[in-house]
This record gives sequence, structure tokens and C-alpha cells, in this order.
Amino acid sequence: MTANDKKHSKPGKPAARGIRQTMSDLHIWAGLLVGWILYAMFLTGTVSYFKEEISQWMRPEVAHQAAVPDAAEVVPRIAEELQQMVPGSSQWSLGMADARNNVVSAFWRIAKPAKGERGFGSAVFDPQTGQKVSSRETVGGEFFYRFHFQFHYMPVLWARWLASFCAMFMLVAIVSGVITHKKIFVDFFTFRWGKGQRSWLDAHNALSVFGLPFHAMITYTGLVTLMAMTMPWASSAAFKTQAERQAMQSEISAFVPAGKPSGQAVPLAPLGDMVRQAQQRWGADRIGRVTVNNAGDASARVIVTYGDFERVSISPKYMLFEGSTGKLLEVKDQVGAAAETRGVLYALHLGRFGDTTVRWLYFLTSLAGTAMVGTGLVMWTVKRRTKLPHPDKPYFGFWLVERLNIAAIAGLSIGMAAMLWANRLLPLGMEKRSDWEIHWFFILWGASLVWAMLRPAKRAWVELLWAGCAALALLPVVNVLTTDRPLWRSAIDGDWVFTGLELTLLALAALHAWLAVRTWRHQPKRKPQRQAAPRPAANSPAPAARDVDSGATAASAAMAPDLQEARP
Amino acid sequence: MNHLAIQLVSLPAFALLALAMDRHQLDLLGRELPPGPTRGLRMAGWLALLASLAIAVGLKGWSLGLVTWCGHISLSAAIVLLTMVAWERRKSVKK
Amino acid sequence: MTSPALSGALRAALTKACQVGPLLSRIVAAIGGGYALAAVASVAALALPMDKPQAVLAGTMASFLVYTGAVVWVFAVRSATRAWLGLLLAAIPLLLAAWPVWNGVTPA
Repeated sequence: MTANDKKHSKPGKPAARGIRQTMSDLHIWAGLLVGWILYAMFLTGTVSYFKEEISQWMRPEVAHQAAVPDAAEVVPRIAEELQQMVPGSSQWSLGMADARNNVVSAFWRIAKPAKGERGFGSAVFDPQTGQKVSSRETVGGEFFYRFHFQFHYMPVLWARWLASFCAMFMLVAIVSGVITHKKIFVDFFTFRWGKGQRSWLDAHNALSVFGLPFHAMITYTGLVTLMAMTMPWASSAAFKTQAERQAMQSEISAFVPAGKPSGQAVPLAPLGDMVRQAQQRWGADRIGRVTVNNAGDASARVIVTYGDFERVSISPKYMLFEGSTGKLLEVKDQVGAAAETRGVLYALHLGRFGDTTVRWLYFLTSLAGTAMVGTGLVMWTVKRRTKLPHPDKPYFGFWLVERLNIAAIAGLSIGMAAMLWANRLLPLGMEKRSDWEIHWFFILWGASLVWAMLRPAKRAWVELLWAGCAALALLPVVNVLTTDRPLWRSAIDGDWVFTGLELTLLALAALHAWLAVRTWRHQPKRKPQRQAAPRPAANSPAPAARDVDSGATAASAAMAPDLQEARP
Repeated sequence: MNHLAIQLVSLPAFALLALAMDRHQLDLLGRELPPGPTRGLRMAGWLALLASLAIAVGLKGWSLGLVTWCGHISLSAAIVLLTMVAWERRKSVKK
Repeated sequence: MTSPALSGALRAALTKACQVGPLLSRIVAAIGGGYALAAVASVAALALPMDKPQAVLAGTMASFLVYTGAVVWVFAVRSATRAWLGLLLAAIPLLLAAWPVWNGVTPA
């Protein structure tokens, strides 16, 4: 069924529209309504693949880690520190330092939190000394990661519902996009450069198609990560007792809740030995987390959890020890088929299993996905501008979409860079410093929205893109001026975290500059009065090439009318 | 090293598949190839793609290999696409 | 208002409603109806011959595919009425499978 099929219709009734036309409409609306949020989710998700590295850069006081410390030595050091810090805590948990992480992240439960305080505390520890890290107070790259699925300044549950809602729209956009673009594989490599609306469409198509496996995977698996919240019906229908719910939990989570303490004080058996047992079973660098329940009590339990590296699943895999004696009680490394499937899907989304190359592939493909959403949003205005009777006075909906595009796309880069600027510039001892780094992210993002509303659209694009370029490019300079880890020293020292991150900032700055220049040069097209436009001699081709051009145009013309007919 | 091996096979795979399309034969070679060589190019392309999958799985096991392979072919497809775009631009600028 | 003007305004309103009504209906069918169908499907999975935790997970994971399919269906068919009919028809076997579960009669 093509878009040109018209059924015999009763007079007065609109002709039935082909499926590609309706899917095209669905695609456009699904994409547009949530596109701005999706763009933010995509970009923050993209950088989250390097969140540990970002966190390292944001804690410049913590030295570059030359070699990964042995978990069996690190754990006892920090455990001792924690037992002094929070002696009565029912549970504390250490996330290991590894090749990407030069600190140990610990959290612990607080039995009787003070009013207004949360029920758990967290801190970051130096693996070599076991002491709390004394560096500037910052959330680090974790902010972008958390923003990605629970935003900020709103209750966590609402935010996750919103993120799931947008992800569902995205999945529909993907499926409807594929149905619309029936000739998806034929047109796979076709991309025409610099031809206004056509090249926006081609860019959007190219980015969508070559990353299609990734985009579909990342969207679907994203929904899976939040499914316990969004689709609880099967679970609540099936499990009525606490025991049943616990059995379910053990299929999906390595979390072992702390039991009732016996009250009998027994010192913890050496944790290093327990970790060594795990290392012997799994490998020296495969320890992910060590959790201790009821430390110092006779009923203490120690859970050593397998790490993420090279394991394409997050299904629970751990060794459970009796805390007071160090005796191995249980080895969990198998779950049911559906649970393992869920574990794999979840792991595919997080991408934590990968080595540096895989992580870069994730990053680049995800960046392409971000660009896919961005080009889609921009394409909407480019297309509709040609139909505006008065391009300088667009109707409100168009004006709004255009300004939101500018703020959502160009503004987000500025906001993200602003957070890194704040990390370097905010006074070290400042009250609520980490909160303020985040506030600056939003302040600058909001400021770009205001700017976008006050300036003519094209100027706003160009100005904000240049601002983003400058904000990113100057970060290494700010770093030189405020820390003792300039780019050249990091390079000489072989510190690839700092070097890599700053070089990437420069590359992203260059990308923004390129976009700014292209936007400046872009001439919006009027709905063509088909005169012989002064095309560059390029297109006065040999006959063979002309066939190519018309062939290409014919192929895309089959698509273009679908989209042009879409309602604004 | 492992990653390079995968990419060095998947990249030509996509180049061959692209070349097996009439439109690109016209773009790059100035003429459409007869069906025989075209089919040969397509088969060679698919074989190379499968070979890159075999390399990935062989080096890293099924789960890690499959995922790594998917990442690599996305990159290969992108590189081939961008190369052809650049080629067309150069051609049109030269003329 | 004179009588013809009133009926003219009324007709304009009705026309608008006739244009927008089906679309709104589809949107409700897609977002609300699709979710309901997906939820029912996830519970219906418990009728499958597997351990309850596995069935729960399988059903929940599959529900998003059901949801997506439902949304595409709603907009692909010729009328809003057909859209709703399709969802209801799909729901019937799923409800039949899910009903015993909801009523606490767990299948073996």
C-alpha cells in the first residue's frame, strides 16, 4: 500500500490514507511531543558511558591511579574506617575501585536518621589509604547519569515515570519510522549533502538507520530498567506473601537485606580472606562490590558481588559469607531464563561490561542517536518554514517549537559545560557546593532558553552554538588555571582519563563550531517556484550522473510527499 | 588488537555491500556493473560481514562478541557512508 | 443571535468535533488502551507453564512490545472504532488467561 493509494470515498469524506502516511504522522508527533526531553535524556545518557572518567576529572585532588589496587587489600582498609565512622550501622557497602574508578564509593544505612535527613549516608574513599577522600565536594559524572532517568528538582518516582513515558514514545517513533521508511535498506547509504530540507531528512535517516540496532535496543532496554515501577501488575498479581516477593527479588537483585542483629557482639572475620576466596573463584579484577550486614554482630553477613567487567548481564552473582567466621554459606551465580534475559537486557543498556573500545563504540553510536533526535526536531521547523506565509511572523506553535529546539539542543551543551566550569571555579569550602554545581547547569540552560526567545531564531542558533563551542574549548584552559593538572602534564604522565576527557571536550567544541558555521551559511528555502536556480556547475552532469540524481530524487520523492502532507 | 581485527573485516564488508548497489556504482564508477559482478560483490560483502561476526565471537565469546560486533558494524556503516558523502562532495566541487 | 447564525456556529462546532473527536479517541486508545492491554498481557503470561518469577519477568518484558504494537495498530487502522475494537478483541483471550491469576487461583 503506498501513500498514493486512494480508496473510493463517499463525497465529503476524506480519502483513506495509506499506512506509510499515517505512520509518518505518528512518527512526527511521537517524536515532536517528547523530543526535547528525549534529546536531553540521550545526551546525558551518552556522556554517562564515561561518567567515572568525568567524576575523576571533577575530583582533581585525587591522583591518577597508575594501577588498579587489589580489592583484597582495599576492602579491609576501608572497612576499618567505616566501622569507626558508623559503628552501629546495619549495612554498609563498598563499590570497588577499578580501571576506570580511582575511588571507592561507599554507602551505609543510618538507623535513626535525624529529622529531615535521609536514612543512608555515602562517601568516597581513597583505596590506597582507606581514608575519606578529601577533594572538592561534587557529585561528578553521576549527576548526568541520574539526570538521564530521573532528572532533577522533582520527586524521583514522577521523574522516572516521565522518562519511561518518553521512552515509550521513542519506541513508537522508531517502529513508525521504520514502517514509514519502507525502503530502509535500499536507501541505507543515500545521503545528499547541502540540499536544504533534503539533506536534513537524509541526515536524520542516516543517523537513524545505521544506528538502528542500537537505538531500538537502548530504548527497549531502557524501558526494561524501569519496568518494575511502570508494569508492576504481573508481580503484584503473582506474589502475595513476603517470602514469594523475596524469592522474586533474589532473581533480579544481589541485594541481601540485613537480618535482625542477634545482639551478641562478635568481631568481623578478616574481610581480605573472603575477598581472596572470591578472587580465586572469579579472577583478581572481577570483584565489584562488598557489602557487610550487621558488622560486629554474631549474625553478620558479607556479600562479595561479581564486577561488571566483561559480563553481559547484571543478574545477581555473589558469594555469601558468615561475617563472624568467614565461612562460605552460599554461592549464587544462576538465575532462571527470563531473569537472565532481563539481566542481559539491563546490562546492554548500562554498557558497563565493555572495555574502552566498546565503551567508545557505545558513546559514538549514542551520540549519533542524540543527533538523530536533534535533526528530527530541527527538520520539523525547516520543513514547515517553507510553508509559512510570513516567515518572519510564524504562528505561535512554530515559534515555540523553534525556540525550544534551540534551547534544548544548543542550550544543553552550554548547561553541561557550565557544570564543569562550576566544578573548577566554585570555592572549595563552599556550603552545598555539589548542589551548586548542579544549579549552575540549570541556570545556564535556562539562560539559553531566555536568549533563544529574545533573539531572532537563526542568530540564536549561531550565537548559542558558538557559546557552547567556547564553553567546551575553554574548559582545559580553566583547568590549567585552577588545578595543577594541565593537559600536557596529563599526557606526559600517561593519564589517559584527564587527557582523553579534555581532548574529547576539544573535539566536541570543534563539532559545535562546525554546526555554528553551517547554520550561519544555511539559507532557508522558499517553497520552490521551480525556476532554473543557479545551481553550481557541479550538477550539470554527465548523463549517467543525471540518472543517479533523478533516480535518487524519485526514490526520495516517494517519501517526501508523505512527510510534506503531515499536519503541522 | 582484537577490535582492530573485527573492524578491518567489517569495514570492507560494508564497502562491498555499498558497491553492490546500482546507485553507488553509478556514483563511484560512472556506470552500472553487469549483474554477475554485482552479485559477486554482494556475496563477498555478506561473507565478509559474517566473517567479522565469527572473529568477534571467536575472540570474545558469544555474548560479548555479539555486542562488540554490533558496535563495530555500526561504526563501519557510518565510515562507509561518510566516505561516500565526502567523495560526492569532492566530485561536485571539482566539476 | 439570530437563528441561522446560531445553527451556523453550532454546525461549525460540530464539524470541528467530528474532525477532532476520532483523533482524540485514538490518542486515548493508544496511550490508555494500549497500556491496559499491555498490563493484561503481562498478567496473562502467568498462565504460561513456567516458574512464577520467570513468568512475571517474561510477561512484563513482553508487555512493552504489546504496548508498541497496540499504538501502531490504533493509528494504522482506518477508523477510531476499529482501533478500539481491535484492542478489545486482543484483550479477550488475555483477560481469560489472566482472570484466574487475579482471583488467586494460581495455575500449576
